[in-house]
Amino acid sequence: MNIKSESLSRRTFLRGTGVALALPWFETFAAGAPSSDETPKRFLSVYHPDGVGIPLKSDPAWKDWCWFPRGGEKDFELTKVLDVLQPLRNDITIYSGLSHPAARQVHGHSNADQYLTGAPIGGSGPYQNSISLDQVYAEYAGDFTRHSSLVMSTNGGVGGPRGAQTQSFNREGRPIPAMNKPKEIFDMLFVTSGKDAAARLARSKSALDLLTDHTRSLARELSSKDQETLKQYLDAVRDTELKLAKAQKWIDTPIPKVDTRNLHLNAEPKEAKLYFQTMYELIYLAFLSDSTRVATFQLGRENGEGPHDLLSLAVGLGGAHGLTHEVKKPNGWKNLGTYNRYQAEEFGRFVQRLKDTQEPTGKGNMLDNTFAMHGSASSSFHLSRNYPIISAGGKNLGFTNGRYLKFGKGNEDNQAGAGIDTDSGWQGKVQVEELPLAKLFVTVLQRLGIKTDSFGGYTGSLSRV
Amino acid sequence: MKTLKFAILLVLAFAIPVAVSQETPITLEAAKEQGRNKSRYLKETKAAADTSDAIPKANVATFQKSVQPILIKSCVNCHGPKKAKGRLRIDQLNPDLLTGPDVEKWREIFNAISKSEMPPENEPDYALSPTNLGSIVDWLSEELNKASLVRRNSKEHSSFRRLTKYEYDYALQDLLGLPYALANKLPPESKTEDGFKNNSELLQISATQFETYREIALKALKRATVSGERPKAVTYIISMQQELDKASSAKNAKTFDKSEASYRKNKNQQHLFNRETGKGVLFSSLNSMPQAKAVAGQIPPDSQVALVLPEGKELKLNLDRYLPDEGIMRVRIRAARSSMNPDEYASLRLILSAHTSNNADFSEVISSRDIPVTASDDKAQWIHFDVPLNDVQRNPFRKLATTFPRRDEFLHIRNVSNATVGEDRLKVLIDYIEISAPFFEQWPPKTHTNIFFESDNKHDEKVYGREVLNRFLRRIWRRPVTSQEVDKFVALFAKYRPEFSTFEDAMVEVLATALATPEFLYLTQRATADDKKSPAKISEFELASRLSIFLWSSIPDEELLKLAEQGKLRKPEILSDQVKRMLADPRARRFSQNFVEQWLGLDGLNSVTHIPAGPLKEAIQEEPIAFFEEVLKHNHSVMDFIHSDYAVVNERLAAHYGMKKVYGPHFRKVPIAPEMNRGGLLTGAAVLAMNSDGKDSHPLKRGVWMLKRILHDPPPPPPPDVPEVDLTNPEILKMTLKERIADHRNKAACASCHSRIDPWGIAFENYDALGVFRTHINNKPVDATSELFNRQTLAGMDGLKRYLLTDRQDQFARAMVHKLTAYGLGRPLTFGDRAEIDNLTAQFRRRGDGLRDLINLIVNSNLFNSK
Repeated sequence: MNIKSESLSRRTFLRGTGVALALPWFETFAAGAPSSDETPKRFLSVYHPDGVGIPLKSDPAWKDWCWFPRGGEKDFELTKVLDVLQPLRNDITIYSGLSHPAARQVHGHSNADQYLTGAPIGGSGPYQNSISLDQVYAEYAGDFTRHSSLVMSTNGGVGGPRGAQTQSFNREGRPIPAMNKPKEIFDMLFVTSGKDAAARLARSKSALDLLTDHTRSLARELSSKDQETLKQYLDAVRDTELKLAKAQKWIDTPIPKVDTRNLHLNAEPKEAKLYFQTMYELIYLAFLSDSTRVATFQLGRENGEGPHDLLSLAVGLGGAHGLTHEVKKPNGWKNLGTYNRYQAEEFGRFVQRLKDTQEPTGKGNMLDNTFAMHGSASSSFHLSRNYPIISAGGKNLGFTNGRYLKFGKGNEDNQAGAGIDTDSGWQGKVQVEELPLAKLFVTVLQRLGIKTDSFGGYTGSLSRV
Repeated sequence: MKTLKFAILLVLAFAIPVAVSQETPITLEAAKEQGRNKSRYLKETKAAADTSDAIPKANVATFQKSVQPILIKSCVNCHGPKKAKGRLRIDQLNPDLLTGPDVEKWREIFNAISKSEMPPENEPDYALSPTNLGSIVDWLSEELNKASLVRRNSKEHSSFRRLTKYEYDYALQDLLGLPYALANKLPPESKTEDGFKNNSELLQISATQFETYREIALKALKRATVSGERPKAVTYIISMQQELDKASSAKNAKTFDKSEASYRKNKNQQHLFNRETGKGVLFSSLNSMPQAKAVAGQIPPDSQVALVLPEGKELKLNLDRYLPDEGIMRVRIRAARSSMNPDEYASLRLILSAHTSNNADFSEVISSRDIPVTASDDKAQWIHFDVPLNDVQRNPFRKLATTFPRRDEFLHIRNVSNATVGEDRLKVLIDYIEISAPFFEQWPPKTHTNIFFESDNKHDEKVYGREVLNRFLRRIWRRPVTSQEVDKFVALFAKYRPEFSTFEDAMVEVLATALATPEFLYLTQRATADDKKSPAKISEFELASRLSIFLWSSIPDEELLKLAEQGKLRKPEILSDQVKRMLADPRARRFSQNFVEQWLGLDGLNSVTHIPAGPLKEAIQEEPIAFFEEVLKHNHSVMDFIHSDYAVVNERLAAHYGMKKVYGPHFRKVPIAPEMNRGGLLTGAAVLAMNSDGKDSHPLKRGVWMLKRILHDPPPPPPPDVPEVDLTNPEILKMTLKERIADHRNKAACASCHSRIDPWGIAFENYDALGVFRTHINNKPVDATSELFNRQTLAGMDGLKRYLLTDRQDQFARAMVHKLTAYGLGRPLTFGDRAEIDNLTAQFRRRGDGLRDLINLIVNSNLFNSK
């Protein structure tokens, strides 16, 4: 895929066939170097598999159980699916018409992997992913906190290719294992001693001392020009020493004490409500204590089965994945909508909690400094288009909420792909125009303070956000 | 750089090949001969450039006496006080090239004359007599050489640099004996305008990269070394005899008998067959479990039952979830061919896959190359694959306690073959398969004993630790080490030791630190007292490293180090023996691959999207490298890169080119007739395809490529104020590409550059975006005729080759010398290197342009032996 080919100017091209591509290694991406005591900017992504319900307009269920709101940017009207967010109406934004182009004709079950990466992972064969949005920010924000990011999912681990159980992928495109046991997460955040880490650090320090020493004696035997070159190596060693010093600082800093009243650390996914709330509370506590500024949380896995597919028990319904297959059965749309409503309700509870908490070290409340998004890589049945996305907060980052933002063309009432329940749906031709979701990611990164104008090969941010 | 225009009319004695086309043109091979006779380098009677220590002086007297008057008469009208075309005023140039500021302008003047671009053909009033021309050229070339020698010592660029990503990777592989990629985690390298990735000016290092080196080294060392008891291998044994028994008794078994009429159809299906009984059953997959008591490496008795695997088919083995996480998986297969028709080939390939849940599956080729099946049925062969299990995509669910998502892993054995037709087409016969992991050739493995070798002092950790370090450091620093140097590492080891349970675990951490020292990561050149004398020589050890990095992309082996230690490596006869030995070594493949990829810019193939991944793309990518290897192996003339009466192709590529009777996936030399329209690098699909726009040929890209890569005469970047091609203009949209280019060229602002680029590319028009030869585009005959800036007409590819071979041999030979030397030195070449490059080119041409000779000349040259 060569996204840029259309706009490749004659001039760029003339510099060379086999143009010299000076690829920076995205290390010092951020604008300026803010100190750690600035107000934290936070990012959260919550992912839910299997999409949402979008009945046809002609269907009596449309009015109540279509996930997307009715109406325009400001005067939108929430259906029964999202009405639980009505009290937070001015703190949220709902998006339509966004998706990752490479996935638009790949089965929705394969696509959780690329929700935060936008990589063209395809539907079968060899597999390669790329870095996820949260990790791009974590590479930067991680410098200020004990943990660079908190990666969670109900199922835990990495899942399999095209069956991810984590939203987070590193710079090499390898999945970052998600934690799923509240007790382990709590211990990592608020209990771990760091004795091993201290020993490892001490070893690294001795090694760096030796390398510096050896390099200096080598330098004495080089020409002055070559010494200049070698200086770069010494700088790299020195920068590494600084990183070690930072790591040491965290070992020496006492672990924060937090209020554990709302935690049920042994909760399991089948105790859906307790589990949901405990996981959200852990994110809240991690943010509050500034243990991390980046978190991802995946609810279940695509094509779920087994105990982890039972979050829908919270509202008395059977396997969550099954709900998407049964929309044409009696109460089908209602059941799926009810489960999606529950997801929104828990997200809303978390958002409210941020809103109710004064920012510990800065202006406003915690929500003002947090961009929290909630979404899926499919909308209608297995259809990887028109991702249903809600974002909340971020006022101090520059986000204006209380809006329903429609992007793209030709699908203003979200009827493209509505009501489908067979595979011909997701395989069908793309008839309407949608914008790359990566453009929203660029906006998010920019507002979080990262100097970039592209993500995953897509250039440009999203207007109106 | 501004393009120069001067009004010197130049009638080079040999530059009138345009009008000779009335008679039957000579063959391209004859053109090679004819062109060679015109070489300036061969005509030069004076000795090679004087590289002695005497300080040269500018020859201003000759300029004033016999050059200046000619310039005043023929040039100053356009490049003087009245007009200063190209912003050049010849009357104001300082004729002292050694100390004056105008050497760059003089160099351009010299180039423009050599390329017969100046003076323009259409200015007969300023014509120069051959004698006058000779005066200018002779004076200029001598003065430029002297100026270059003077500047050589100013040390603008150094060869001191870190290893490239691929060099570092190979060095680790060779050092540790691990034959697979280890450094994928490092970021890709940037390239110079020339395309080279090993250029000292570009090879930077950052903190993240430094940490990655440490991480990679530690991981690699841990893979190379072992501790404790030999781990028990998981072994699967599949005997086709047993599989036949199982499969025939299954419900719905599709059994058949040789005597039945249906056998004719079934025998070309994938099946199990018992030769003795004549009974068979259709068969495509099986389940296998590890056998606790099985011992790998056995030779089972011959069997009458074999799996018959036709072209493109695969046996799918469900291995459940028992393959270990790490180590080498060895797959042994006893295989044979069903028939011996030499036109048919077959080879085996391994694929690993999993289907974890619906729409969550993957598959990956895990064999590093296809292994040919060559044995006849009565003499089956053993084929074995070694796959590093850590490096392949595994089923992440294999350790789940529950059964969903699914935990199985599937190994596919595929027959990759060309036997697609015929009643008795070739099939692969397999009677026995064994899968075992982790596999060790011996215990402890050689990779371990390379580092932790046998020693009488093994019981004494202190003494033995020093021995291990001493040997390791010498190897990775490619030089003898002092005991003080080793001391530092011994001290580090002493510090680490209490924190680890074994000697080896602690030592591996120290060795990883050693692998992060600049003397491993960089190609060093130590300053010595000798350096006052210029140019200072590198040491023999530094020569060993430079040589091995050049020809192996890796660190020197023991033999090179020994020779350096004995101070013998630089002896010409020993050096040439070593070059011979190194080029015969399989590691020399890295040289061909990396040099050719960078020289020609082959990664451009990855930025075009019109060739789907697969055998054709692979073959297209491989051809230039295989061609280069052929020329190198036989010391053929580099003029073969311009044109050859042979091609180096495999079956897939031959089919693409319309060549018949080439069978099999390996590349080999094939003679070709002129009407094939191939031969050399210019007509290879790689060059043609990557310089296309994905749909059609792209003359501009091809022209730029030609100038940069072949003639080493890159066009200047366009000035900032030229108009873009306006694709919103409907008139322009209607035009063909060639018309669009012509339209653009006709704009005054664009003309001066494009008239130098476009004609080269238009000569390639008979080749489409995939490099297929064509005579028509959209039912119109191809117009591939163009006229160069110097009025030279190029009649298509044949004309282009003819012109290059007749009139541009010197330029191309010099370009080859320049590119190979720049690659060999790992630094940009500058004006200060000009005299040496000229000198090398002269020797190269005199020796007959052989590629191997060129490598020998380079490694023996002052440049290669100096800092």
